[in-house]
Amino acid sequence: MDIQRIAVLIGKDARLGATNFMVVYVLVMPVVLSLLIALVFGDLLAQTPRLGIYDAGASEQFTRPLLDHPSINTTIYDSEEALQSAVERGSEEIGLSLPAGFAASLEDDSAEVDFTVYRWGEAGVRNLLLLESAVARAMTAAIGSSIDQLPVTVNAEQIGSANTQTWSQRLLPLLLIMSIVLGGLFFPAASLLDEKKDRTLVALTSTPTSLLDVYLSKTLMGFILSGIMGSVILLINGAFVGQVALLLLVIALGGLMSSSFGIILGSVSKDMDTFMGIIKGAGILLYAPGILKIFPQVPEWIGRIFPTYYLMNPLLEVSQNGAGIAEIALDIAVLALISVALLLLLSSVIGRQQQKLALET
Amino acid sequence: MLSVENLSYTYPGGTEAVRGIDFSIEEGEIFGFLGPSGAGKSTTQKVLIRLLRGFRGSITVLGKPLDEWDDSYYEQVGVAFELPNHYQKLTARENLSLFRTLYSRETRDPAELLEMVGLEDDADTRISQFSKGMQMRLNFVRALIHMPDLLFLDEPTTGLDPVNGQKIKDILRQQKAEGRTIFLTTHDMTVADQICDRVAFIVDGEITLIDSPRNLRLQHGRRRVRVEYHHDGTSAPTQQAEFPLDGLGDSDEFLKILRSNRIETIHTQEATLEDIFIQTTGRSLT
Repeated sequence: MDIQRIAVLIGKDARLGATNFMVVYVLVMPVVLSLLIALVFGDLLAQTPRLGIYDAGASEQFTRPLLDHPSINTTIYDSEEALQSAVERGSEEIGLSLPAGFAASLEDDSAEVDFTVYRWGEAGVRNLLLLESAVARAMTAAIGSSIDQLPVTVNAEQIGSANTQTWSQRLLPLLLIMSIVLGGLFFPAASLLDEKKDRTLVALTSTPTSLLDVYLSKTLMGFILSGIMGSVILLINGAFVGQVALLLLVIALGGLMSSSFGIILGSVSKDMDTFMGIIKGAGILLYAPGILKIFPQVPEWIGRIFPTYYLMNPLLEVSQNGAGIAEIALDIAVLALISVALLLLLSSVIGRQQQKLALET
Repeated sequence: MLSVENLSYTYPGGTEAVRGIDFSIEEGEIFGFLGPSGAGKSTTQKVLIRLLRGFRGSITVLGKPLDEWDDSYYEQVGVAFELPNHYQKLTARENLSLFRTLYSRETRDPAELLEMVGLEDDADTRISQFSKGMQMRLNFVRALIHMPDLLFLDEPTTGLDPVNGQKIKDILRQQKAEGRTIFLTTHDMTVADQICDRVAFIVDGEITLIDSPRNLRLQHGRRRVRVEYHHDGTSAPTQQAEFPLDGLGDSDEFLKILRSNRIETIHTQEATLEDIFIQTTGRSLT
């Protein structure tokens, strides 16, 4: 093994990889998807909190400050049914149904304040907090003192499916698998298959470069790409939080697993078509844990069948639930075991490739 | 420089491709390894360039058993394969520059090498736009980039036009003049005849004969001379006559033909390498 030659080969692979459409596609796609999801589901350009109000009559004194509020988007509805419908479909995150004389009752110390709040089940916590705070401030402004002193009865009702996770949170596992696994897997495989097509493997190994150097350079390149891609996707999705060192450790192990698997696939595949056939046929096994995470009702144990679960789960545990090493130790151990098994398999594959080279030249 | 004793190689499937061959190559020698397809010449070369392991017998290269060499072997050995193998998306210059960086020893300037084989105007053209002949020339000079002591060349003139074929032969002679040893695998007897100091015939994994092309021609040729001539002033067809080389100057008939006719050709009847190959092995080269 020669570090200088490996560096030369990595430079060459990086240059040639940049001209490989599939490699570029696999690297760019998760980033584009992340940005699209953030755009559509609100994390990147978080939408203004949406408040709907049905005023049964004469409460303009209360609704006016909310309509004029610069940070929330308030809409007045003609009927309670229209308000409920808007909340149900997510057009409004909070719907206030104000009875007739609501504003007057706020000013009357003896009157009982009674109103209904509809909450969209999938509303984000951030927007809910902003809306609740704005409503509380409007009530305080209307009565001139804290609403704590009023006998307020709030009839809260949740509309639509309840889900504490946003869509971008639910799609994050899939994006992480796509970026770390495919990023790490595609590059070494495509690069090795290009060498096979151009018969350059034998040309390289007829210099002081060993086949091990060639394989290491490609695996290392896949590992680096995988790490960069995983970190970028976490950053774009605002998930590069919690114990960053732990996240990096998991990404590194995932990158090792993916790039080893990629170079093995590149070795056993005859050409790019065979490789793509394998990916199309077996790709679902790689994505499965990410797809299952989209549907929270699917039992967690099903995901554990698939190796990529042990990459995805610790990343989510650390970034979304603030887990530490103790909570994810088992996942890391399994991930490390898979990586070691793949590296052992890789050493055997290199030996066979040496024989194949001689026979095919 | 290179010594092979009782070399045998059996492929994993059980085919014995090389059967106990012996030969040695002196420093500065161009050694031609000739034989038809499937004779074992490529297998022998693959063993010698350490591509095939698990051979039987003894091989010593550059003063050291082949088994004991590591990848530093290729610092002193240059290899050119029969089929071009370049990075198609890189230019000729980039290909050579890349390979140049893989050696620790002093290397040649890619521009100089490209000029040697007439590719200087295509230095910055992608290999995917090269013809097979251009790729073969690049294959050839890539083997020279680190100025190796020993060259293994597999059919270096295949796919080349006569002008470029001649250019390669001239470069090989120049390499020999600089002291390099060349192991040339080919089935082109003309190339072997023109540039090899010695040739070995290999058939069915066995070497049947090793000698210099000149000795082989002399040993296996007929010691006769053939004359083709025209009777002056007549429209009669060209006539031929053959005479023994021994005592040719005393042959009245030969001298008479020379004196009284218009001579078209006179050739000694030594055998070509191809004739000798067929004669000694009973096989053709195709």
